[in-house]
Parts: sequence; C-alpha cells; structure tokens
Amino acid sequence: MIKLNSKQCRIYRVRVNDLEAPFLYNDPTLEVCHHESKQRNLNYFSSAYTAAVSAVDPDAGHGELVIKVPSELWKQGDDLKVLKVYIEFSLDQPKGGLHFVVPDVEGSMAERGAHVFGSCDGKMKIFSCHRFWFPCVDSYSELCTWKLEFTVDASMVAVSCGDLVETIYTHDMRKKTFHYVLPIPTAAPNISLAVGPFEILVDPYMHEVTHFCLPQLLPLLKHSMSYLHEIFEFYEEILTCRYPYSCFKTVFVDEAYVQVSSYASMSIFSTNLLHSAMIIDQTPQTRRCLAQALAQQFFGCFISRMSWADEWVLKGISGYIYGLYLKKTFGVNEYRHWIKEELDKIVEYELKMGGVLLHPTFSGGKEKDNPTPHLHFSIKHPHTLSWEYYKMFQCKAHLVMRLIENRISMEFMLQVFNKLLSLASTASSQKYQSHMWSQMLLSTHAFLKSISNVSGKDIGPLIKQWVDQSSVVKFFGSFAFNRKRNVLELEIRQDYTSSGTQKYVGPIKVTVQELDGSFNHMLQIEENSLKHDIPCHSKSRRNKKKKIPLMNGEEVDMDLSAMDADSPLLWIRIDPDMSILRKVEFEQADFMWQYQLRYERDVVAQEEAISALEKFPTPASRLALTDILEQEQCFYKVRMQACFCLAKIANAMVSTWQGPPAMKSLFTRMFCCKSCPNIVKTNNFINFQSYFLQKTMPVAMALLRDGQNICPKDVLNFILDLIKYNDNRKNKFSDNYYRADLIEALTNSLTPAMSINNEVRTVDNLNADVRLILEEITRFLNMEKLLPSFRNTITISCLRAIRQLQKNGHIPSDPSLFKSYAQYGHFVDLRIAALEALVDYTRVERSSAELQWLLSMAQNDPVHYVRHKILGMLCKNPPFTKTTDSALCNEALVDQLWKFMNSGTSHDWRLRCDAVNLYYMLFGLTRPSCLPLPELGLVLNLKEKKAVLNPTIKPELGVGAPDPVSLGVCGVGQPPQGLKRKADTPLGSPPEPGQVLQQQDDDGRGARYKIRVRHEDIDMETVHDSQAFIHHHLNLLERPSTPGTHTHTHTHTHTHTHTLIAEYRNTHTHHCRGHYIHVTSYKQALDNKKKPAKPGSVRRTSTSAGRG
Amino acid sequence: MQLAAVAKIKSLNYTNISYRNIAGKATSSPAENYLLARRRTLQVVVSALLTESGFESAEKAAVETLTEMLQSYITEIGRCAKAYCEHTARSVPTLSDTVVTLIEMGFNVDTLPIYAKRSQRMVITAPPVTNAPVTPKALSAGQKRTHPAHIPSHFPEFPDPHTYIKTPTFREPVSDYQVVREKAATQRRDVERALTRFIAKTGETQSLFKDDITTFPLIAAQPSTIPYLSALLPSELELQALEETDSSEQDDQTDGENTAGNDDPGADKENSMLPPSGVVPSTKASEDNVIDNPYLRPVKKPKVRRKK
Repeated sequence: MIKLNSKQCRIYRVRVNDLEAPFLYNDPTLEVCHHESKQRNLNYFSSAYTAAVSAVDPDAGHGELVIKVPSELWKQGDDLKVLKVYIEFSLDQPKGGLHFVVPDVEGSMAERGAHVFGSCDGKMKIFSCHRFWFPCVDSYSELCTWKLEFTVDASMVAVSCGDLVETIYTHDMRKKTFHYVLPIPTAAPNISLAVGPFEILVDPYMHEVTHFCLPQLLPLLKHSMSYLHEIFEFYEEILTCRYPYSCFKTVFVDEAYVQVSSYASMSIFSTNLLHSAMIIDQTPQTRRCLAQALAQQFFGCFISRMSWADEWVLKGISGYIYGLYLKKTFGVNEYRHWIKEELDKIVEYELKMGGVLLHPTFSGGKEKDNPTPHLHFSIKHPHTLSWEYYKMFQCKAHLVMRLIENRISMEFMLQVFNKLLSLASTASSQKYQSHMWSQMLLSTHAFLKSISNVSGKDIGPLIKQWVDQSSVVKFFGSFAFNRKRNVLELEIRQDYTSSGTQKYVGPIKVTVQELDGSFNHMLQIEENSLKHDIPCHSKSRRNKKKKIPLMNGEEVDMDLSAMDADSPLLWIRIDPDMSILRKVEFEQADFMWQYQLRYERDVVAQEEAISALEKFPTPASRLALTDILEQEQCFYKVRMQACFCLAKIANAMVSTWQGPPAMKSLFTRMFCCKSCPNIVKTNNFINFQSYFLQKTMPVAMALLRDGQNICPKDVLNFILDLIKYNDNRKNKFSDNYYRADLIEALTNSLTPAMSINNEVRTVDNLNADVRLILEEITRFLNMEKLLPSFRNTITISCLRAIRQLQKNGHIPSDPSLFKSYAQYGHFVDLRIAALEALVDYTRVERSSAELQWLLSMAQNDPVHYVRHKILGMLCKNPPFTKTTDSALCNEALVDQLWKFMNSGTSHDWRLRCDAVNLYYMLFGLTRPSCLPLPELGLVLNLKEKKAVLNPTIKPELGVGAPDPVSLGVCGVGQPPQGLKRKADTPLGSPPEPGQVLQQQDDDGRGARYKIRVRHEDIDMETVHDSQAFIHHHLNLLERPSTPGTHTHTHTHTHTHTHTLIAEYRNTHTHHCRGHYIHVTSYKQALDNKKKPAKPGSVRRTSTSAGRG
Repeated sequence: MQLAAVAKIKSLNYTNISYRNIAGKATSSPAENYLLARRRTLQVVVSALLTESGFESAEKAAVETLTEMLQSYITEIGRCAKAYCEHTARSVPTLSDTVVTLIEMGFNVDTLPIYAKRSQRMVITAPPVTNAPVTPKALSAGQKRTHPAHIPSHFPEFPDPHTYIKTPTFREPVSDYQVVREKAATQRRDVERALTRFIAKTGETQSLFKDDITTFPLIAAQPSTIPYLSALLPSELELQALEETDSSEQDDQTDGENTAGNDDPGADKENSMLPPSGVVPSTKASEDNVIDNPYLRPVKKPKVRRKK
C-alpha cells in the first residue's frame, strides 16, 4: 500500500515498476459531513473535519490516493528494494493550489500578462496544499531531491525551485521546456511554480539572484529590489552561514494568495509590493516583506519541521531573525515599538479568544485531551486552524524566541542557529545517505537540546510556561510610598482565572526612577505574596537643584514642582523589557506618567505613558503631550500617538480648554508659511518623521469635538484649507498617502446628522459643512479616475468617507456605489475597502440581499484573497451574533453557510476555516437557535455529551435519520483509509476526480469503532475482498475521460529525485497535465514514515521524458 | 522733350519731395507756392519744347501729362544721382554722378552738348525767385546728447532722447506669497472641477443621491483588465514632476534614473535583460557582459530525433 496526497487531480493510471497498480482515490475533506444530515452544530462539524483531515494526514502515513502495490512486488518491498511509482494525471480547471490570472483582453497570453503560480500560502506554510496540484506526500518531513520539467508557451517563463539547468524548445519551436534540478533535499510543500510572461531582472549586486515581475513593472522592480542584497548580507552575517541554495528567485504575481510566500530557493510575492522611488509609506513595508521571505528561506524552506507540533520553532526563529533585521535597519526604537505592538496583539487576542498553544501534544488522541477546548476548531492539524489564530501563533512564536534570547543571550542564540544550519547543510550535501537528511528537519526537542548544549542553561521552565502552555499573564500593579521607612510598597496582583490567562511565578523586573537615578529591582513573583517592599535610594528633596540621572546615563534638568513633595519617586515601570508575555495595568499618579512621558527614553515607556494619560485630562497632561509633539528627537510613532491622545484629552476638557483647538497652532508653526499662517507650505517630504507627523495631526485634530459634540468649525475649515492649498509640484515624493489622510481627517470630523424624524436625505437639506466635505470627496474621487494614485489610496479614503456620511445620516444609505467598486477588475485594495463598506452596510441595515451578495462573492470570486477577506470582515463586523436576535438569522442562511463550509470550500483550507469562523461568530458552537428544535431527546443528549466525539448518532438513529450507514461513516470521522464506498454511489458510475470511492461496509457501527485503527492494522482480507470492486473501477479509470493519445518514454536514472513533468497550457480552460513519478520502497510506505528513513528505504524515483 | 529736361536737373536735384500730392490744390503756404512756381516753369518748358517741335496748340490734359512725365524723369535722375553720390560717401552729387546716372538710364550723354547748343532753342525765363521753404523744426524734447569724443562732429546728431531712452511702463507684478498660493490653488481647483465635471457629463456617472444626479456627479467606476498597472505605476504627471525636481536637485540622480528613465519598460526586452545601469556601481559595469544567469542564456534548440 502506498499512500499519497492528491486533490483535484484526475488520475489516469498508476504503475509500480511498470506493473499496472490498482488505486483508490478518496478525498474525505471534499465533503466533511456526508448527506443531508440535520446536524448543524459546529462541535459536530469540527470533530468531523478534524477526523477527515487526520484520515489523509501524510505525517501519519495517510493520503487521498491509495495505491495497491501489485503482489508480484511484495517480495521486492520486503527486501527494501526500490519501487518506482508512475502516476499519470491531469488537472482541469483547478480551484485551488494553482492560480491562473488571465486578464480578459485581446492579444496573446503574453501580451495580456497572463500568469499562473502556486497559490499556496507559503508564508503560512502550514496549509500545505501541494496535493492540490500534484500527487505527493504533502508533508514537511518527507524530504527528497527534485527534478522538475515544465513545458510552457515560448513567450512564457517558468520559474520554479532549484537551478535552471537548461531551457529547450519543443520540436515545433512554439514551446519551451524548463528543466530544473533541486539537489538539496526538500519537502513537497516547499516546491512551487510560477509561469508567466515575466520580465527578468538579474540582481546587479548578486548575479545568482533573479527577480521576475509582470510586464511593464520593471522600473518598479528595479527600485524595489535595489536593497535586497543588504538583507542577504545581514542574514548571512548574523547566522555566519551562506545562503543555503545556489540561487534565489523572487517572483511578483498578481492576485497573490498571501503577500509573501517562501519556497525552496524562490519566493512568491504580491505584485502590489512593488513601488517606485516616490512612495514613502510602502517602502518599509516592502522591505519587511522581503526580509520575512528571506528569513523563511533559512528556517522554513531549507530547514523544515519534523512535525506540525514543531512548527513554532521555525516560525519563531524566522520571526526572530526578521526582528533582528528590523532592529538593524529601522533602529532600536522601531524594533521595540514593534515588539510592543506584537505583544499587545497577542495579549489582546488571547484574552479575547483564549490561549494560543505553541507546542500542542496529543497524548492518546482522545478528544477529551484536547489541549485547547476553548477553541471552536482543532489545532491538531494546520488545515483546521483559524487564520487569525495562526497569525497570532506566529506572533507568539517569535516573541517566545525573544524571551529565550533574553535568557541565554543573543550570542548563544545565534550560535544555536548557526549550529542548526551547519548540521543541515552538511546533511544536505550527503547525496546518497539520505538518513542524514533528518538533520534538516527541526523538532522542538532538537532545538531545546541544542540550546542547552550551546548555552549550558536550562530554559525548561520558560518553555513550559510559554510553549507547552497557552495563555498570557495579566498583572495589576499599584504602589504606596512609605515615608517613614523610605520604602516603596509595590503590590502586584494577577488575574489567572479569566480566559486566556495563566499564573506566572518567577522573576519580574521593576524599574524605579528616583530623584537620584534609575534603579532596577528583580522581584520574585510567588504563589501568595502580593506585596513587595523596595527600598528607595533617595530622600525627597524638591528644592535642591540638581540634574537627575536617567537609566541611560543621561542627566537632565526637571521641573519637579509637579511631584509629591514627600516622595522621591518619579515613575515606576513593571517588566520594562517585556520579558514576560503579559498585560500590565499599573496605577500611578498623573504627574508620574507625565514625567515618564517626558523623560523616560524608552519608546515603550513613552507609549505606555501616553495611553495612561488618556485618563488624566488636565492642563499638565496637555502640556506634556504638546512638548513631546514638538520634540524632534522623540520617536515619530510616539509623537503620532501623542496626537490622538491629545485629541481625547482636549475633548474631555472641552469646557475648560483655553486657546485655539489642540494641535492647530503647533501644526501651523511646523508646517505652515511664516508669512501667512493659514496656508500650508508646499510639500517637501524629505524629512520622513515630519512627513508622518504632518499626515497624522489633521487626522487627530478632526476628532476634536466642541460643547455640542460636533467638530469645531475652525478645525474643519483648517482641514479644508490644507486640502485647498496642498501643492506637491516641488516634491520628489508622492503625496497620495497624505491626501488620503486628509480625506480621512474629513471623515473623522463627521458627526451624526441632526435627526429629523427619518426624513429622506436629499441634496437640498444637506448641512453646509457636509456639502463642502462632499464636494471635496467628489472632486478627489473623480480626479482619481483620471490620475490614479499609488494603490488607489485616495479612492479608498473616499469610499470610507462616503460610508461614514451614509452611516451618520447625511446622505442616503445606499450600497450600489460600493458594489460597483467591489467588482472584479478593480485594484484589490479598492475592492477590499468597498467590501468593508458593504459589510458595514449589511450589519447596520440588516440587509439580507447584501449579505447574500457578499456570500456569493465569497464563493465565486476569482481572487482567493478577496474571498478570504470577505469572510474575515464578516467575522470582524458580523451582521448579527449568536447572542443577538436578527431577522437575518434564518434556516436558509444556516443551510447555506453549512453547505459552504462542508463542501463548498474543499479547494482552499483557509477559506474553509474562515467559513467555520463565520459560522461560529454567527451561530456559536451549538445548534443555531433559529433552527426548528429537533426532537427533545437530541438536545438533551447534546448537552450531556458535548465533548464526546459524536454524541449525535444515537439520537439521530433514534429519530430516524435517513441512512444509518452513511451516518456511521460521517459521524465517526473517516475511517482512515476511506475504504468504504458511499452507500448510494452507483457501482458503474465513472469516478470523478475527488469523488469518494468507498468500499461497501457491512455495518456502520463496525466502522465507527474502528476510528483509531492504524494503517498497518488493516485487515488485508477486507482489501482483497474489495479487489473485484476496485478492478471494476480501474477498468474504467484506465480510459481517460479526456480523449487524446499519450505516448510516454522513460529513461531511468537512479537519483533520489521526485520528478514532476507538467505541461501548462495557458488556454482558456486552465488545464494542467502531468506525470508524477514517485518511487518508494514498499516497506517505507508501511512504516508510516514516522521514523527517520533507514538507508535503503529511501524514496527513489526516476526521471522521465515529457510527453510527446 | 527729354533733352529739355536735362537743363533743369541741377535745380531739381535737391528737391526730393513728391509734387504729386501737392499739385492741383489751392493752397497758400509759402512752401506750396514755391512748388507751384516750379511746376509752372516745367509747364512752360513743355510748351516751349512743343512749340519748338512744331506744335501749334495742345490740349491742356496732354500738356499736363507731359509735364508729369518730365517731372518724373527729372526726379528719377535726381534720386539716382544722389544715390550714386551717397554710395561713394559724399553728400553733394557731382557731375560725374549725374553722368553715370544718365548712362545708367540709357541716355547717350555725348549728344547732350550738341543738343544744348542747337540754334532754335528757346530761352525761358527763370522761375520767379522764391525762398526755398524752410522745413519747420521738429519739436525737440529734452536735451540732445552731444557726440562723444570718438565720433566726428560731422556725423548726424543724436536723435531726441525720447526715441531711445527706455521708459518703464509695466505694472508691479503680484508677488505677495499669499495671493500667489491662493491663485494657484483656486486655479487648480477650478481646472480640476471643470475637467471632472466634463468627464462626468460625457460619460457614465454614479450618484450619492437618488433624486439628484447632477449636484455631486461621480464618474462611474470602470473595472479594468489589469488593475494593478494603473494603481502601481506612477502617472505621467508624477513622472514629469519627478523629472523636474530631479533636474533641480542634482544630488540624487540614481533615484531619478530608476523611475523616470524607464517610461516605456515593456517596449524593450533586450534592455530589460540587462541590469539597470543607474544603480550598478561603475566597477560592476564591466562585469555585466559576463553575467552567467540561467535565465539569460539562449534557449536551446531541440535535439534532432534519432529516427527520422
């Protein structure tokens, strides 16, 4: 028995060592729950889905394609001899895996810029979906070398993994064949392909690096790639290791599945990352994406994971070294800001959704042992994960890596990485000793061992706390100063009972800034001690004029008049280095926050102070924030944050506010002409810090409200003037983001219209201010049609503004404009913005028509990313939730969504998980409330046996479900081999690709209790019994349903290689054909592939020449 | 008739004034009287010549015509002689000037003395002596400049100062910063509004209000086949602006070449194969020829099949 992963493919024949071999093709994920059962609760779906994925899990030795090795060859298998498997397949109109972009214009394929690429989310390598486009062992732990041949139209370029050996014309000279060889052992999910009429750019600094982009974008490519070599140099330097592959290719494609995806020696990016030299905002983002992709080349592609549970190590390391790159390129401030941002993100997610577990262990496999019962999906397989969860998973992984670095020092950390890489590269060069290749797979265990070898430190507790356990820590801190003892009495409490929290025991660092300097204290958090006494070093002495030393050695003059005369404390920080994954809510007086904001040099402290000051709307806070705003040495992101805080404070102080509106005079001083303060200077964005500030201040100012809770006329006119006098002619940078922000400012200034008992909104009763705003928006929107801005930022802002106008009742609420912008054929950012407005409309207006429209787009849109985003946005801004009543919540919708996630999304893991998320958001885990109640007994049973795998079968049987057999099949989760035939499949029907072929099972119950039957334990008799049936089908299978004759020639060379020969015909019907030759020893197939391969039991393959 | 005129050459040489304008007009100014007297003398000459030739009487119109012809002839001789004289850098015509002129006009000069001494010629009284009219002095404005030392005094005087002195007459331009900015902003806004309204009027539109589609017309969103091109590539306007700023700021050339130098990237595939000259350090430029990148290698021809 050989099991391979394959989806969507039409398999014509399989031969093993030139002998025809019977095979079965069963994809249980095609339809998760079979038949129209009445089950509509998510618990049931999730467990069925997990079972389905488990049934084809390559790491467990399963697969959709089961090949029966002819009995003649059994002997050979037992002798650990090589078996050669030859699979002839075609792929017709693939829905997932490969993505075709064919613009609908005149001209040849090349002129139209048509291209195709493996649309797998390589960034999220978890959702390995290579089985979607060729049969393989779709696992990261099955390494082999590769030979790849692609025959494409002569106008196209095929870019794939490995070295391009040669390119040869076909005999008619109309096509070219690209021959690739990848000598470094690589797992199938790390293989990809991109074909298109690409423009080719050889990197001027590194000739072995080649960049590809779509026609006409070459100048952008040149600019965007001009700093890639610096990233290369950085990684090679810190890892003291050469880039492992002999070449590197970057391909920029349209309609990319994700922005960045890395494969062995190539990365596929979204074409939207390309930018010209005039664009400021996109530049750091693109550099970040490149750096991420490259980090994953080392850890993720070259070094792969042993199993899914080890994923966190690779994500962690690549995320961590990416962080080091950020630190080096963008500076320490940016780095610390980023760490804080990531920490806040993970903390927020875990507190809201429950813990994120990095290293799940599944003992025994009983569902009761589910380590994450709070989640509505299983984390046992990458394919069942919610996208959001996975993003947080990555985020947590690199934060934990940073914690390890804090513990063992960066030097050791880099040594560990270097060690892993050198082991792997030694292993990869062992061409004929593939047992060594397991060194290229990284497991949690090996990583930890390496750390302890290198550093000699025990990081066990750290790993236990953050890796083996989910959740974060939540601290509440407060303090009192004991004047008599000159002691700071600090109280740190924890909340470890609410969801997503855990108890922390261990050291914590507290930094106290006193008059005499800054002091670090290591406190020990223990079970029952809440209070910590920290002796102070200085006496209070407010009258002495002396400079105050800061943490960084700097000495500054401070105006100490604000502080408490009795206390020497300026400010206190808990865990300043973010060495715990925590949320800290700390109480200290407003003046302390103000001192912290002004004088603490750490950006994280400044940002914490700013968010704390929101609660203290006083003139002193105002002054501190204004000073920070003006201070040019201050990190620009802190200053930007200060803008928004200032706006909030100003609103809270509206009755006592003195002087012009907040920030107006500041903006005038910084950016307006000296002679005429109402006119802004002509744009000059050469100083990026002030550029970002100039962009942000109007947006924040527009949030100001006067006593009537409307935006002051002053401010509105000011913004309108900024728009009017904006002049970019002398600027070498584009002002599109700035203008977009000015529109956002206009949007922010909007307040609900005076409600005049639901009167219809017309042009005549428009508010005068709104009329001005609308005029600007109209002009901007129309100008954008003639002179489009980069990434259509301005249109996007305009759409948001229009939605806001509608929502506030200034103009009639109408979705048609957004619908037109959401159509396929607009720039993707624009579509997302329009869809966001539609999602909002759907929620506010409770429009079932729009909801249907959105759902149908989520099912049918050609762009995967858009479909994913629609569901994501519906989750974020749901039209209703499980706790609210809504007319939208009805049986038809339940059925529709159920069908969608059950069978409509089988080609795209991510989309299916999105659909599951949405279902959870709308209906919760249990049976949706809008459904008619089934028999009472069922409900009771559900409640009782909630955690049981399939508590519903018995009740269903009792109720009289239509087909007990099929219920048995689906309810239990797939018996691993899928050797059952659906009861109602007519015997003679030709199997369609992916159609479930199941052997008739005699007893549904019998099957049910076979869930944990391992693959080796299959009763061979059963298999033999089914031979007659199988052969019957094979006869049909051997006649390809697409007419045509195929001739094949093979030349066998015994390299350890998988060969994929594919011909991509870029015709209107997307159509791929390929042969996949995959040789494996019989023994190995039975060995369940868990253990490192033994010598001789290697997968062997042969090459084969392409089809005639 | 021609010969008779010759006698008068000298006296007419000096009068470059066209008689035609004046003849026939009843005037009284001394200048006109002077001219009329001359004209009358010419008529007498014509009459005398006619008598000499044997004519008994002549119509007045014929006499007038002949007078006119004679006058033209004499005037032409005078003008031409003066031209010759000035051509040789003199101001007063000499005999030789006149002779050359006559020759030039096809007149046989040798016959002149004989003609002059013929027996039957009539002597005509000289015209009454009247003072040559004094040309009235042009109104002089300002002080004329005297010649500087290097110009000989015989050269003509400088003209009146007003003919060559610059008199500024333009208004003070608006240089007030605020007004300029205001004007530029308003102008641009007006142009933009007019343009977009025009496009909106001539094409499909969308509206935010169902009842009123004209107040805020939005140009309808048209899906494009390759949406990323317009969204990513800088517009021509931006490229133009970039070129302008680059020419003023020479310090940052590479950026300019990166973006501005490749307006039409798709057109030239050969060029696109080469690394950008703008960003390559000069030392690398020489290596460009030897870049060995598999994607730049020529595509191989298929091997010939063994069996044909």
